[in-house]
Amino acid sequence: MNANSNPEPSTDQRHHVRSLLMRESLLDKQVMSSTETPVVRMLPDCHVVKVGGRSILDGGRETTYPLVEALGAALATHKLIIGTGGGVRSRHVFSIGIDLGLPVGVLAQLAIADALGNAHMLGTLLAPYGVVAIPPEIFGHLLPLFVQAAPGVIFNGDPPFSLWEHPAGMGRIPTHRSDAGAYLLAECFGCATVTLVKDVDGLYDRDPKQFPDAQFIDEITVDDLRERNLPTLPFDRALLDLISHARLVTRVQIINGLAPDRLERALRGEHVGTIIRKDAAS
Amino acid sequence: MQDQLLTQLGSLLVNGSLTDDAVLAATDEHPVLPILPNANVVKIGGQSLIDRGRAAVFPLLDELVANLPDHQMIIGTGAGTRARHAYSVGLDLGMPTGVLSILGTFVSMQNARMLHYLLAKHGIPFIEPVQFAQLPFYLEERRGVVFFGMPPYIYWQPNPAVGRIPPNRTDTGVYLVSEVFGARSMIYVKDEDGLYTADPKKDANATFIPRITVDELEALNLEDVVVEHNVLEFMKNARHSRSIQIINGLKPGNLTRALNGEHVGTIITA
Repeated sequence: MNANSNPEPSTDQRHHVRSLLMRESLLDKQVMSSTETPVVRMLPDCHVVKVGGRSILDGGRETTYPLVEALGAALATHKLIIGTGGGVRSRHVFSIGIDLGLPVGVLAQLAIADALGNAHMLGTLLAPYGVVAIPPEIFGHLLPLFVQAAPGVIFNGDPPFSLWEHPAGMGRIPTHRSDAGAYLLAECFGCATVTLVKDVDGLYDRDPKQFPDAQFIDEITVDDLRERNLPTLPFDRALLDLISHARLVTRVQIINGLAPDRLERALRGEHVGTIIRKDAAS
Repeated sequence: MQDQLLTQLGSLLVNGSLTDDAVLAATDEHPVLPILPNANVVKIGGQSLIDRGRAAVFPLLDELVANLPDHQMIIGTGAGTRARHAYSVGLDLGMPTGVLSILGTFVSMQNARMLHYLLAKHGIPFIEPVQFAQLPFYLEERRGVVFFGMPPYIYWQPNPAVGRIPPNRTDTGVYLVSEVFGARSMIYVKDEDGLYTADPKKDANATFIPRITVDELEALNLEDVVVEHNVLEFMKNARHSRSIQIINGLKPGNLTRALNGEHVGTIITA
């Protein structure tokens, strides 16, 4: 690919720097296909673990302490990038914000504070292991440095979409919450695994808390999951689109954090919850 | 948390699933407040305007400044040819989409800074995403602000379906600002009269489309469209910004007329 910086004569009355995409419309479908090239993995040995807000941290010591112990044990052998959800406080601020007429971008901005609060609580508990919460302003750029210096790091799982959150098809809840944010980070950095830690064993055909006869789904592809059109999911619906566009991280596992021994097994690649795959090949 | 402290919606959200359509439907009961209903969002193209230098930029900024007494403007910038260069080199080096997004941000930030210095004598600030809380004050005091058009997704930029170029670039970032603030208008200033059936720079048979809906546009399935696909996608879900206009900023008077609500380019509606 020619990266020569000679100015290009302006044959179309515009001024270009010479490059493959010069004079091309980035909105042209054929041009876009030409950009499908191999991509590097920045942190291939790191594992992203998203710890649920409402499912784990909001339950206090009873649900959180055993998981902290499991995280601490896993840190001895695995580099962890731990994201947190906002939980009940995010849901509360959504309800007030919606009542006040605020748009989805403002709700997304507000929710970051709740996930960050949870990140700091988890960071306090994991401090003895050398793991702390990193402020979002410096987290991404310095991540490779942090994971060299410490066994793991914690961030607020929410992506920095904030005011730029996408308007949703139905309702006004931000679509890119902490599951989506944790996944996007893992995909960009090419991490080894993504594990979403919840308070259910994984995906069921119905909410197992309301329907005791709900059927467990141990693995499924994004297309099959879309086709089944389940009434509720134990993770952000936006995750389906994101995984379907995966280049590096083509599967995500949902595990039950109330059975904390499953965490380290999931990090080792064992199937201990529900695996969502990009396609049958992944 | 005691349930009696929660509103009905609060209880639904705290106890229900945020993936449940019935829960989500309940969140749309009240209309969304327009936060800055008097502000116009104006996007100034990178490759189409700024890369042309003073010949294109000076007359456009003169016209923009002349309109400030009548129209508040939130001015976003495109990236342009340096972003294409950075994307080309970055793709060759194997950069992921999130890193390409950062590279695009840097170029649109350069363009925002340059426009900001040209507008500085009129007291117009350049603000980064962290300074958006001051935006209403600047609009009230100075009638305009400049910001970089890339949405601040950085490493969290979602992959596109095809290729690796960030799917949410400056058209989308600027559009989302118009939507979240409930702005009065969303005007894209480019170097073509608006939307054509093909790229008019490459295809002499391209015909102009003065007005079209998002659905009609998607049915045409054009190889090349004048605004980023995600803008059209988001318009369908928008609560406020359901109409955008693309105008030719090389023709004097177009920006003024578009700010006055006239149809001078292509209007796309959802």
